Amino acid sequence: MAKRSIPKGSLNRANFLTLAILLGPALILFTALVIVPVFEAAIFSFYKWNGFGPMVNFRGFQNYIQFFKDAIVHKALLHNLIIAVVSLVVELPIAMLLAVIVCDPKFKGAVFFRTFFFLPYVLSEVITGVLWQFIYHPQYGLVRAIWGLFAPIETAPTLMGNTTTLLWAILVVIIWKYFGFHMTIYIAGLQDIPREQIEAATIDGASSWQTFISVTLPGMRTSIQLSVFFAIIGSFQLFDIVWAMGKGDPVNAGETIVTYMYKIGLQRFNIGYGGTIAVCIFLICLFFNVFYQKILVREDD
Amino acid sequence: MNIKGKLASLAIVLALVAPVMTFAAPTKVVEWWHIGTAANDKAMFQGFADAYMKLHSDVQINITVLENEAFKSKLTTVMQSGNPPDVFQTWGGGVLGEYAQAGLLRDISKETKDTAWGKSMAAGVWATYTVDGKIYAVPNDAGCITFWYNKDLLAKVGYKSFPTDWADFLTLVKKLKAAGITPISLAGNDKWPAMHMWSYIALRLGGASLFADTVSGKNKAGFNEATWVKAGTMLNELAALKPFQDGFLGATYNDEAALVGNGVAAMELMGQWAPNVQKDNSSSKAGLGDKLAAAPFPAIKGGKGKVTEVIGGGGGFALGKNASDAAVDFVKFLTNVENMTTWAKTSGILATTKGAEVGITDPNAKMVKALVDKCTFFQLYLDQAFPPAVGGAVNDAVQTILAGTATPTQACAAIQSAFVAK
Amino acid sequence: MRSMTRRNRLMAAIKYLVCAIMILVIAVPLYISVMGGLKSVGQLRAEPVSLPNPVNWNQYTDMLTGKNGSFWPKLVNSVVIGLGTVGVILIIGTFAGYALARIKFKLNGLIYAYFQLGLLFPLAVAILPLYLQLRSFHLLDSAIGVILPQAAFGLAMMLMLLRGFIKAIPLELEEAAAIDGYSRFGFLFRIVVPLSTPILATVSVLTLVSSWNNFFTPLLVFNSEKKYTLPMGVMNFMGEHAADWNLILAYLTLAMIPAVIIYVLCQKYIVAGLTGGAIKG
Repeated sequence: MAKRSIPKGSLNRANFLTLAILLGPALILFTALVIVPVFEAAIFSFYKWNGFGPMVNFRGFQNYIQFFKDAIVHKALLHNLIIAVVSLVVELPIAMLLAVIVCDPKFKGAVFFRTFFFLPYVLSEVITGVLWQFIYHPQYGLVRAIWGLFAPIETAPTLMGNTTTLLWAILVVIIWKYFGFHMTIYIAGLQDIPREQIEAATIDGASSWQTFISVTLPGMRTSIQLSVFFAIIGSFQLFDIVWAMGKGDPVNAGETIVTYMYKIGLQRFNIGYGGTIAVCIFLICLFFNVFYQKILVREDD
Repeated sequence: MNIKGKLASLAIVLALVAPVMTFAAPTKVVEWWHIGTAANDKAMFQGFADAYMKLHSDVQINITVLENEAFKSKLTTVMQSGNPPDVFQTWGGGVLGEYAQAGLLRDISKETKDTAWGKSMAAGVWATYTVDGKIYAVPNDAGCITFWYNKDLLAKVGYKSFPTDWADFLTLVKKLKAAGITPISLAGNDKWPAMHMWSYIALRLGGASLFADTVSGKNKAGFNEATWVKAGTMLNELAALKPFQDGFLGATYNDEAALVGNGVAAMELMGQWAPNVQKDNSSSKAGLGDKLAAAPFPAIKGGKGKVTEVIGGGGGFALGKNASDAAVDFVKFLTNVENMTTWAKTSGILATTKGAEVGITDPNAKMVKALVDKCTFFQLYLDQAFPPAVGGAVNDAVQTILAGTATPTQACAAIQSAFVAK
Repeated sequence: MRSMTRRNRLMAAIKYLVCAIMILVIAVPLYISVMGGLKSVGQLRAEPVSLPNPVNWNQYTDMLTGKNGSFWPKLVNSVVIGLGTVGVILIIGTFAGYALARIKFKLNGLIYAYFQLGLLFPLAVAILPLYLQLRSFHLLDSAIGVILPQAAFGLAMMLMLLRGFIKAIPLELEEAAAIDGYSRFGFLFRIVVPLSTPILATVSVLTLVSSWNNFFTPLLVFNSEKKYTLPMGVMNFMGEHAADWNLILAYLTLAMIPAVIIYVLCQKYIVAGLTGGAIKG
């Protein structure tokens, strides 16, 4: 991709000094504060180490074997997968629908709606988590109050205390917070589709659904790819919201792989195994990324 | 005044102040981390630090105050980086043990063993903060877990005092339930309150020897031993009566305390801090007042345990490996009789320093203190007694029993495998 | 034709209905927070949805006047750290983004891929080594110690957006600039930067928002309470007022407002930037 857009010419050649000035600061900062720490975590992953004192107890791939056997890892990864799938089949279509609605220039109030829909994205995860904890509160939460309008209040569900509902309660918050982000990506994509194309299709007698399928969707390919990428990577890196909403408990019913890593490494003092989980998260994301870029995205070029 | 004028006057002030400042410049810095985020605690601790700095102009005390959970996250990272603060909150036991074994703490045996300072507290309270015979932290609060119950609600179902026998306790639970009162408030999400219930049942069943032999490894079956499993079964029998509030598995300790403090639930099984937390969490900010009473965990017929055997713990301040003598002296200052009396009055701790009892005025608190002082066996909270990997497994296991995702046998096996892996 | 307009009207009605539902879904939690902050704890528990009665303005004013909690100092800290992060990321990110978009050299693709690795792990993964690293650079308990890691972790996203945008700037402009005697840096500052304002604004807003919301980095780095940021303030405030949900909601509301204001002021850049950045890349 890089080669295609950089034609030959003297301008595109640069001496080492220029490159060093331009790229140096970013490379140094990124290497020192992102790559080196992650690399160190990868080293822990081969030890049994509580984080204190010297690392002496080399375990080879024992931690990795444990990772594959650990029932809670399986559970957590399953939750991550559910979150990813629900994001794809529920959140992204909602985002797409809203993007199409607010992108119509004849639709009055589009800017207002657009601004409002993005709003939850700018709220911090800590604040969002605390706010929803209150909404779900079993004694005086909003859900209980609303339930009380339709049914005896004693029968109100306690969403966060129930192992079958917790994950869904968290999913609602995730969709609430992030759908606006995806919608905005879609709006960006929609604005790139020439208006004439859509009008031409309409004149040809295509229904709005046909127009959407044959013109709009293909035109949004890049933005859909981007949003799917963020949705999936984001699902596997989910941490703050789950942590703020009961730390993935009771009985790991809302556990995600990053909350589990945090518990193991920083609460249970098993930082070696925590490092192993970190490396595996990275590998999962890397594998997905390579697969996604090479197979799905490249095919379109 | 224009800007130049302002700058000039600033320069004059600086010139006047500067010599004084260099003269009094503190040379010893003490980093102190505590978790007293409540307004009265924060002010009291700041007051202690200010008073000490007034007495010792060469010492500068820097306070870091963090909410409990945030404190634990941060402290762990800082400890793992090998750079502990000088003075910090600790609950002793297995976590302190890991720090000590990694050489992250300052040994203060010399200052505390057989010294006036050491003798200012009952000999027993130091045990929680002793690792391999060396003392690493100074206790300030020592108490035990008891039932805290609402006298009025018990009276409603005909109980003038708290049951002393488990069977009678179960009857009480059924009567409360039948009367439409939530019998027990429980913070299922925080795990440790439920863990206390299971470990107390085990203590009443197996007595001191069960705990001592399991911890020492003398009991080969460890947590797979039938008594531990039976404690899980009995916890299930209790849970089958549905004695806890709706959604208890998602509840935090604050939720638990609020239900008792607001008179909704009849009791909770909790440590010495219960009345204060109930008060803070109640709508009226007054808690139950006179209606609240404490009672020891009931005896179980046929069990080996006695009512004088208790599970408890408290808090103290540990000293980081780089702590100066000034830091040690500051902790000594914190635990002197005057400060501990103030502390007991302000925060309701069961002050460890002899003579500070005068600060403990609440009859319930006095009862709990007497229980600890006269106990025949003292077990530190099980999740604290072990290293965090095991303590965490204990908490997890009890939660799986209550959530019904594991049988007591499976749960005990999970604890044992964590215990062996350590 | 007539049935057409009727259908269009029906469609419009459905569209407004959908939007209205979504507005409701977003607004209700926010409404609960704002109004909850005005209620007494008793009223909040008994009727979480109704309007506050009586209205306890003092719960907000006590915080704004510093009588309860310390809101303003934490706000200032959050602002300083947010702007600092934006500043750092704009400078080094623009340089690097320009180089990666416009200069042909052997390692270009590889270096870009290297930066993209940053998208593949969350900050929590490397929290302990990151802390060790900051300590060895003597950056603990200082704002720089929060700003640099935030900028470092934000670079991947920044470069992804910026590179695509700069690539889309017509090459003729650069050639014309060269003929006019501009150096490479002259071109960068006089042509690329002004033309990239929308994407730089987008990056600034996204960076500001994520800095504003970050909890773990400041928690690790800061020791003294006077340096704490707003999310840390929220957690400490919760520790202090465990069950006073009315006060907690009031504090949450106050902590939300600045982010909302910044966003509303800058929202047009977000869409504009995303349009021209990654999508076109």
